[in-house]
Amino acid sequence: MTMILTKEEEAMASGKHGPGIAKCMSILKKFGEALGAEKMVKLSSAHTMPKEPPELLKEMTEGVNQTGTFTTLHALMSAFDPHLWRKMGISEGFASKELPLHEQRLAIYRRLGFYETYTCLPMLVGNLPRRGDFISWIGSCAQLFVNSLLGARTNRDGGVVNLAAAMTGRAPYRGLFLDENRYGQVLVELDGLDPYQLTYTDLGAIGYYVGGKAQDRNVVINGLPKELDMSQLLGLMAPLPASGSVCLCHMVGLTPEASSLEEAFGHRKATEVIKVGKEAISETKALHALHQHEKIDMVVLGCPHCTIQELKKIASFLDGKKIGDGRRLWIGSPYQLYYLAQTMGYSQMIENAGGVISSSCMATIPDSPIPDDVKIIATNSFKASHYISRLTKGRVKVVVQEMDECIHSILS
Amino acid sequence: MKGRVINGGNASGEALVLDVPFSFIGDFDPETGNITILNHPLFGKSLANKILVCPTGKGGTIAPFIAYQAKKKGNAPAAILCKKVEPILCESALAIDIPILDSLSEDPVEHIKTGQFISIENDEVSVGE
Repeated sequence: MTMILTKEEEAMASGKHGPGIAKCMSILKKFGEALGAEKMVKLSSAHTMPKEPPELLKEMTEGVNQTGTFTTLHALMSAFDPHLWRKMGISEGFASKELPLHEQRLAIYRRLGFYETYTCLPMLVGNLPRRGDFISWIGSCAQLFVNSLLGARTNRDGGVVNLAAAMTGRAPYRGLFLDENRYGQVLVELDGLDPYQLTYTDLGAIGYYVGGKAQDRNVVINGLPKELDMSQLLGLMAPLPASGSVCLCHMVGLTPEASSLEEAFGHRKATEVIKVGKEAISETKALHALHQHEKIDMVVLGCPHCTIQELKKIASFLDGKKIGDGRRLWIGSPYQLYYLAQTMGYSQMIENAGGVISSSCMATIPDSPIPDDVKIIATNSFKASHYISRLTKGRVKVVVQEMDECIHSILS
Repeated sequence: MKGRVINGGNASGEALVLDVPFSFIGDFDPETGNITILNHPLFGKSLANKILVCPTGKGGTIAPFIAYQAKKKGNAPAAILCKKVEPILCESALAIDIPILDSLSEDPVEHIKTGQFISIENDEVSVGE
């Protein structure tokens, strides 16, 4: 079946706006048709990943002077921060390969007006969609959060469709853009757990466990207290697309498309009920547990990126203290929040202790540049533990502990 | 056999038949063009310029970028034939502009053997020796 394009979209496809736009439109049209989309829709925003092969980026932006919609940039990938890599202990060899690629991409981003937010949580720093907005956002956490917590609509586009969408300001009308694909499929219930006693890592363990069971289906969690704050909600949801590939998680009474159980399921029955109890949490935690006599070399926090409240908390644990010789502390947070944290005095406390705050991806996706001398990393993120252990091909062991336990383990 | 054209064109080459869903990220090394699925009989086999036959694709946002890197090095497959396309696999093929077909008149994973010569002309797929 062929997609019906508007006059403007036809003009883009015909080359009237240059070869880059024509290539982008061709990809979007063929992609849309493969998935049964009848038309394209205009996007309110895009969020792209700064990891394109520079030649591909050049091809798809040839003749383009401005992004086709408001576009923000995702976290710097592979934890590679062009300003802080040395402080982070990343090798000269890794940097010498990454820096030229970064420079080539940056020239194009600046020419086209990409917003240099460099975060996996663009909603914290200026890209705030409304409910119902059609968007194309990259990054599994960003996709999940914006779909679930804000009721905006993004599909799980890959890097090329996402870039094409950002250039043209269009995406095929398919998948999660449609009401009928947004209803819950799997119901999650807490079984024998006091929801008011769940710690941050308990919540992450629940998310990781549910993700593995739900795979790519839409999740509805029932029974969570309204008192859960944004940080806790992010901690619960972030692992869902790591162990699985969930991109929509309704939480009854907490998220906009789930004021009731019936609304969340579109008045349909759940296809499966997943009960989460104490065993699910303890078994999940056992996957990333510290054993006796094991020592922690490095701590990674901020996966997903830290909010300003989390930076405050980290600073309070480090104030007046120092991390041990040879130990490392990486903290992911957007540059913009670093500056706010500096105004509040938090950045100084963290840096004086020996920590580094970087606008890069703490899960180190895809090329993990963890320094060679690191054997064991502690983090409070099940997403980070999942990726870092795999991406270092098992060289680095990653344990999950509460934020204060992580920090305490590397203090001198 | 005939199939649904997602990205058209002509291509020919030796078939490499995979029995599991494929992704350019995780299952493939763009530097060598080899399959990297652990504990799989086809581990280490080259996909370069082959006709990839598989049931479907699977995720990995960056997969299409990896496919592009492989293409630049001459290590990408020449075409993809799958039972049913999945978004990331589709996108990967479009990123490097190689033919990709699904919904073939016969299940390609069942009917094609690794090593057979395949010729693709838009929606027509010929299976030779």
